[in-house]
Amino acid sequence: MSDDAVAGDRSAAADREAATERAVRESYDRHTTVIARTVVRVVVPIILVTAVGLLLQGHNRPGGGFIGAVLTATAFVLVYVIFGMEYLQDDFLGLRAADGGSHAAVEYYRWLFAAGLALAAGSGMAPLIAGLPFLTQAVLFLHHIPLYGEFELASAFAFDLGVYLTVVGGLLTVLGEVGSE
Amino acid sequence: MTEASALGGVLPLVLQGALVLSAVLTLAVGYRVITGPTTPDRVVALDVIGTNVVAIAALYAMIRGLGLFLDVALVLAIIGFISTVTVARYVTEGDIIE
Repeated sequence: MSDDAVAGDRSAAADREAATERAVRESYDRHTTVIARTVVRVVVPIILVTAVGLLLQGHNRPGGGFIGAVLTATAFVLVYVIFGMEYLQDDFLGLRAADGGSHAAVEYYRWLFAAGLALAAGSGMAPLIAGLPFLTQAVLFLHHIPLYGEFELASAFAFDLGVYLTVVGGLLTVLGEVGSE
Repeated sequence: MTEASALGGVLPLVLQGALVLSAVLTLAVGYRVITGPTTPDRVVALDVIGTNVVAIAALYAMIRGLGLFLDVALVLAIIGFISTVTVARYVTEGDIIE
């Protein structure tokens, strides 16, 4: 009789452990289909490459820091919507969830925002050292680069990169804070 | 020469016709957006409008020979895809991000 009770307790505990394990595993892919997860896995790298391409061509063709940042945030939104909030910070970034249930990755997004603002403002201030007006831009053409030929090194790219980091940080901060509520 | 010139004469006409067709279809779908009985009707109609705008941008790029409108089409297609995924998630679950 007592043996049965002990065995029942043990099996109940094992059941509970298995249930929590299953819950943890299913919290990543709850309510999303295999189709959505597979499509997102394929599409997110394409979106990120498009975003970087728009960022790099931004200083003399359509594109630039803002739209590249919006597309990057779009890729993150897709990951958040399909895989859930925990997937990115636990499995991908290796962060533990902060106490109080807030999103731990938001701290890093805030730093991204600050770094972008500093970079954009700093690239605007840099010409002042040489006695030129605020936000003066210059361009340098490098010739005979292997595999590439001529490469255009524009100082406007530093400002674009600052805008990119600022917008990515801002949008992802809003997303993380609102999404974790 | 005759084939190339014939095609050169037909292609702008086809492109213009496709442009007019896409514009008229966008207007027609606007009716479904306004008077759609349910939310999924409106979502699908808005998705059709987004796809039509992508088509219009691509057709305009072909007519004018400007590659930059293809960037517009690409970004619009990406935004349309994610908006459709998000709204579908909202309609089925009621909660977008978990």
